[in-house]
Amino acid sequence: MKDNHAGMSLSFKIISYIIISILSLTCLFPFLLMISGSLTSNESIIRDGFHLIPQVFSLEGYNMVFTFPDQLIKAYSVTIFVTAIGTVTGLFFITMAGFVLQRKDFKYRNQFSFFIYFTTLFGGGLVPWYIMITNYFNLGDTYAVLILPGLMTPFLIILMKNFIKSAVPDELFESAKIDGANDFRIYRSIVLKLSMPGIATVGLFLALSYWNDWFLSSLFINDSSKYQLQYYLYNMINTMLFVSQMSSGTGVTLAQEIPTESTKMAMALVVTGPIVFLYPFIQRYFVKGLTVGAVKG
Amino acid sequence: MGKRRLFTWCTVTLLTASMLAGCGGTKNEAEKPAVDKSETKTNNTDTSSATGIDTSEKVELQFYMLGDAPKDLPTIQEEINKLALADLNATVKFNFTTWTDWSQKYKLLLSSGQPIDLIFTADWTEYQSYAKKGAFLPLDELLPKAAPKLNEFVPKDMWEAVKIDKKIYTVPATWKEYVTEGIAYREDLRKKYNLPKPESLETLEQYLDGIRKNEPNMLPLADNQGYHAGAVRQLTTKIVNSSNTVPYGLNIMYDKPRDVTSYWGSPQHLADLKMYKTWADKGYWPKNVLNIKDSGHDVFANGKAAAILGSENPNRYNDSVIKIKSLHPDWELGYFPYPNAKGFAQPVHPIHNGFAIPRTSKNPERALAFYEKLVTDKRYNWLTQYGIEGKNFEVEDGKYYKMLGDAQSNGFPREGMQGWAWRNPQFMLFDKSFDAVLNMFNEFDKIAKPDIFQGFPEDWSPYQAEKAAVEQVEKQYLYPLNVGLVEDVEGGLKLFMEKAKQAGLDKIQEEYTKQWLKYLDDIGQ
Repeated sequence: MKDNHAGMSLSFKIISYIIISILSLTCLFPFLLMISGSLTSNESIIRDGFHLIPQVFSLEGYNMVFTFPDQLIKAYSVTIFVTAIGTVTGLFFITMAGFVLQRKDFKYRNQFSFFIYFTTLFGGGLVPWYIMITNYFNLGDTYAVLILPGLMTPFLIILMKNFIKSAVPDELFESAKIDGANDFRIYRSIVLKLSMPGIATVGLFLALSYWNDWFLSSLFINDSSKYQLQYYLYNMINTMLFVSQMSSGTGVTLAQEIPTESTKMAMALVVTGPIVFLYPFIQRYFVKGLTVGAVKG
Repeated sequence: MGKRRLFTWCTVTLLTASMLAGCGGTKNEAEKPAVDKSETKTNNTDTSSATGIDTSEKVELQFYMLGDAPKDLPTIQEEINKLALADLNATVKFNFTTWTDWSQKYKLLLSSGQPIDLIFTADWTEYQSYAKKGAFLPLDELLPKAAPKLNEFVPKDMWEAVKIDKKIYTVPATWKEYVTEGIAYREDLRKKYNLPKPESLETLEQYLDGIRKNEPNMLPLADNQGYHAGAVRQLTTKIVNSSNTVPYGLNIMYDKPRDVTSYWGSPQHLADLKMYKTWADKGYWPKNVLNIKDSGHDVFANGKAAAILGSENPNRYNDSVIKIKSLHPDWELGYFPYPNAKGFAQPVHPIHNGFAIPRTSKNPERALAFYEKLVTDKRYNWLTQYGIEGKNFEVEDGKYYKMLGDAQSNGFPREGMQGWAWRNPQFMLFDKSFDAVLNMFNEFDKIAKPDIFQGFPEDWSPYQAEKAAVEQVEKQYLYPLNVGLVEDVEGGLKLFMEKAKQAGLDKIQEEYTKQWLKYLDDIGQ
């Protein structure tokens, strides 16, 4: 490794730094526009468009967001609650499933794996799924409907299974068994400990999918106090779109307050905030597994 | 367990099959209505008593509306339920779909078999096609029994107008409203530079030229989405719709509705496109006009543009007036409605707003009785349209609506439940600023002619694939022509017509014309 670094010529370093900086700038640019947009007065956005530095500085966007924060805070807490519960229970089920599916002494592991895999290829479709959840499980308008459907994603189970397979050598199970550990003990003390990077990855996927989810709210939630944050935001923007598209042709007029451009930007910023901070905290688990050297010979 | 699973599977397969049938075409539709009829009949015999309706059992009605729920909905619902419990021994749950994916949710609500008692219908929610597919209960027999007052209240011709295959499926709104469009312009600038009122193509051009010359920083036109193409048709012809154009480039004029020709590819079309080209060259709109997403209405109302041709109906125009009055009191707006150019005004078709009872309703009679209360009982009507008097609104000068607080703090703004369908002209309260619109409506009333187009139930299943293809061609080849981005207009139009014909335009036009003529026969035109 060291040799590689020393061997890197100066010019290569400079070029790579430039490329990386340009790339990161292009990633940052829209975000900066969003920040500046949220600080611009709405009239100025419509007249002059977005600028990197606000033409007419104004906090009206944030004012709008925070004058009646009850709905926003409610949506926030729903999302945090759903994300936390969903990620923790989801991780538990997914690691359990992964652990079982990769055990060589589980006779039907291939059949089960295939069964899980099969569902990623063929699904019932939206309408049967909707009917199943509303009419048979009666989950409409509950918090459970926000958590359950995303709890065990086949892709994540397969990912976890393969991860445990590569991170935990079979011999470790044997030796643990000889030492008198039962399966739960093996799961808790060996599998969980050794597959931390995998758990972090899957956990991040899960948390992100819960945080970014709006579709479940959209379909199954009627009570506006149970809206997830993303849906709350998405719906505001859709309302505006609807007004501009429909009212021209149909004369429909809506009584509700319509968010302005600057409000939309402010909202987007308020929503993206917390999840951005998740990365640095999880990153440290993305170190290589610790199994190197556990099995000799 | 086994039985139950079997049942589930059966329902799932059946539903999928029915969905496929719904998408696939007309094969099964012929059989469907027959099934509907027999089912409703058994329903009727079950619950009907000799007079009125049986209210001995307490029920909860599921009421579905599009859009977002107002903040104060729980209090309103409570108040309504107090009344409904006493009158009908029923309570209501108001459900809202929100505007996110509403059309998909609407479809799910109607196809999933969920019990729903009342649901909003409109031409733009595809009332006609849902009614044809048997999603709603026919109301003809229910109405006189469960809602005699409502039956009387809605005029006969409106009941006739909402009929699909000779059956009533929705209760139309009775308030007469106009969604015709017009040219909105800056009266103050017009006076300042001594320009003519834009009331015809020539004067419009003179006005826009004058603006271009004197106000170089201003956009002459705000129609970013290329709406001007439809608007010019409204201004220069007696076209049968009250906004935009007839679909698929057809030409149907109000005075000769049976005379269907193709506008696309006609000499008139070429002349219009050439005119748009000169407009573009003169700089009436920016070069990237097709990519701009801002709504023209906002652009105009914020003073960036000097005129807007499409999408400004009286209601919306009034909106701009109010907005500008508060932001820039020194500006002044003018408006020229297209009906004045056409010589007649069409009020919206009765199917534009209505409420239907889905077939899944468990209490259709009670639902209809409740809806009757909503329309004809002032207590119900005001509660659901304006909120609680003294808390959400006040009546000013005996006839004006006045909101208490502002749109932010008021938990139930005017028509906060999107109650367009149960507006009752006798009870309606308007904001003072709405007088201008009402005056305009009164003017229109003098030249009003019934709408013969909006009620047309187009069935595009025979040409679904072609429809999508032609729309794609239209976007790719016609839109650039509309905004004058193509140098060779004649060649561009030729290319567009060639591509459209390849995509199946002829088939669409033929089938559409056939359906249209049949519809005209049905309504006796």
